[in-house]
Amino acid sequence: MITEISYFLLLLALAASLMQTVLPLAGYWRGQGSLMQWASPMQLIGSGAVILAFGGLIQAFVLSDFSLALVAQHSHSMKPMIYKISGVWGNHEGSLLLWVVVLGIYGAVFAWCRNPMVEKSLILMVHGGISAAFLGFALFTSNPFAKLAYPPEEGLGLNPVLQDIGLALHPPMLYLGYVGLAMAFACAVAGLIQGRIDQDWARRIRPWVLVAWSCLTTGIVLGSWWAYYELGWGGWWFWDPVENASLMPWFVATALLHSVIMVEKRGCAQSWAVLLAILGFSLSLIGTFIVRSGLLTSVHSFAADPSRGVYILGILVLAIGLPLVLYMINGPKLQSRQSIAVFSREAALIINNFLLLSATAVVLLGTFYPLGLEMVNGAKISVGPPFFDSTVLPIMAFGVLGMVTGSVLAWKRGWRGVARRVLLLAAIAGVAAILVGVGLGYREVAPLASLGLVVWLLVGIGADIYSRLHSAQRLAQGLPQLGMWLGHLGIALLMMGALGEAIGQSETIVRARAGDTIPLGDETLKFTEVKTVRVDNYVSLQVTLELYDASGQQIATLIPSRRHYPAERQETTEAAIRSTLLGDHYAVLGDGDPDAGFTLRLYYKPLLPWLWIGGVVMVLGGLVSLVMRRNKP
Amino acid sequence: MRLRFALPLLLFLVLVAVSGLALYQTSHGKRDPQQLPSVLLNKPVPTVEIPLLQQGGSVFSLAEYRGQTVLVNFFASWCLPCRLEMPLLGSLANEGIPIIGIAYKDRAADTEQFLAEFGNPFHAIGVDTDGRIGLEWGAYGIPETFLVDQSGLVQWRHAGVVDQAVLETIRPMLP
Repeated sequence: MITEISYFLLLLALAASLMQTVLPLAGYWRGQGSLMQWASPMQLIGSGAVILAFGGLIQAFVLSDFSLALVAQHSHSMKPMIYKISGVWGNHEGSLLLWVVVLGIYGAVFAWCRNPMVEKSLILMVHGGISAAFLGFALFTSNPFAKLAYPPEEGLGLNPVLQDIGLALHPPMLYLGYVGLAMAFACAVAGLIQGRIDQDWARRIRPWVLVAWSCLTTGIVLGSWWAYYELGWGGWWFWDPVENASLMPWFVATALLHSVIMVEKRGCAQSWAVLLAILGFSLSLIGTFIVRSGLLTSVHSFAADPSRGVYILGILVLAIGLPLVLYMINGPKLQSRQSIAVFSREAALIINNFLLLSATAVVLLGTFYPLGLEMVNGAKISVGPPFFDSTVLPIMAFGVLGMVTGSVLAWKRGWRGVARRVLLLAAIAGVAAILVGVGLGYREVAPLASLGLVVWLLVGIGADIYSRLHSAQRLAQGLPQLGMWLGHLGIALLMMGALGEAIGQSETIVRARAGDTIPLGDETLKFTEVKTVRVDNYVSLQVTLELYDASGQQIATLIPSRRHYPAERQETTEAAIRSTLLGDHYAVLGDGDPDAGFTLRLYYKPLLPWLWIGGVVMVLGGLVSLVMRRNKP
Repeated sequence: MRLRFALPLLLFLVLVAVSGLALYQTSHGKRDPQQLPSVLLNKPVPTVEIPLLQQGGSVFSLAEYRGQTVLVNFFASWCLPCRLEMPLLGSLANEGIPIIGIAYKDRAADTEQFLAEFGNPFHAIGVDTDGRIGLEWGAYGIPETFLVDQSGLVQWRHAGVVDQAVLETIRPMLP
């Protein structure tokens, strides 16, 4: 019964979204405010209906209602409750519904906020169009409430690799980011329709961009963290198409974040900001849906179905094509007549945008090039990490150089007296760090350059903070910069973590039995016991490894394990990780038996935890900017 | 001047054209996104020594099969599509083509039960409990099948179920 009601609610939401699109558009065309005012109530009705329907689906998973095809395929009565719930979005249909739900939540919050009526209705009009397209997609090609004529006794379960808290949270965070960009997109399209992109527009769009950017960052970091501790390969970024799909909107959102500030503070770069807002959401759409269309394949992808692909391509053509046509027609009206000095913050921000967009283009090329090549000559290739490492990383290096330069330069007038000193100090520190690196015997260019850049960035931010905050009356002027400093500091810490791992990682592979002692540099590892533990829906084989430092003091116990899930007949490895601020000890249990011994892979990854700390600091920067927004221009 | 503003649209249209073409070919059966090239094509097989399922953990060597064309099939008892291709692999084995099975991330007891239930077409069965061999071979998901020629070079790779249509495509490569 609940499922029938939920299905009906989705139909209702589709009808409401269509009204939400048609009525304001007709009202705007004919100059009738009364028609436009329908947008907000329609949004609230649609959002409410979608959220209730999603609740219905969650209930079906919680109660293990195997008469629903989706539940029968993806759930199991033996599964812990939290993973029954996360199973709702661990599949194509459910995750699509989650996407629409997040869209509904953003729309409802926006409808609730105070905004000028015409702008608000036009923005909701665009938002309603997106909702309608995806509700239609869900209902007509991927109905989550499809029934089975003969319900099975038991479900087929969820892939145990996916039974993990990191993965339970990763998609919702990512969707909050992707869909948040929909709000910025709707603002941009509404602005283009009216032909007006001004400082009010920038102030309206900025909180949405900040929210979307923070969520996107959180989602990407969570996904990377999951790959690091769950996949058991010790890597944290694989340049997989799905990872790239989330990285591209992040680059564009970062560029948008910076250019919206330009529109707000200086009234320049309007057409650029509009284009970025359109691109950001377009890439989110491509990212979310291209992997479901059967065009590209990836380890992460859901089952592909070409008939869905046609529908998806249709949505993409409308959702991206129409705004770009509008941009072609109305974009030239948005030209600013402000001149920009070579050494000014505006110029630095434009260079930042250019670099971020280049990085996006390179990733896009690497992701789509195999497809293009295949269309031309039928060859199948895949573009791997070496391509991305050698193209994206140098672009990012220039970006890091600019992060200090841009933040010390002032708007309009360019050089502040103190800017030269900050830059000089940071440059000297960076070069000194490289020389120390060379002195220590490192000869490879990439790690040395990264080392120099990390130090340059850390010293640059520190000196910038000092120069702005060393007297009390400047404190008030400096505080609005706090978000930026945190954001940039996060990047520096993240780079530090990546660098530590890249140059200092050590790997040991041994075969050992209980009672063996394994030397690891100065430290030793004692293999003390093997045991089998039964937990709700799996059996865990655990080995206990005691870690001793050079003086013979025990500093940690590592318990790597392998899990066997009888319902899914599948094995997963659980790495044991001991994190300190200095680095991670990472142990993975391979195969073997108590008599012949087990294969153990042991890593030490210096500074790696700073990767995650950096991610958290970046997100904090986004949130601080959101809270400390200045209301007056 | 206008061109600058039309550029994003033009680039997007190119992307749409490529995607549309690919999609058209996919839906008309001319293109299979599951069909992935192997980086190993025309290269020697990566793992030569593979631990055996039976005989208490001893290893066998793919080098023993030099001079013969062999199929290497990654499978597992927990993999439902793997069941579908067992009969076809069985008929291939009856034709005298040696097929080597590699039980991917599976427990020995489960593998044996699976073979008892769905037939055992394999000349030898290796185990890859922790997925390392799969990683070295670049296995994408299972079932996955590689064709290794007489000189030990990988000639072909297929991700997904081997059915009659797939078999026809590799027929010329088989003795």
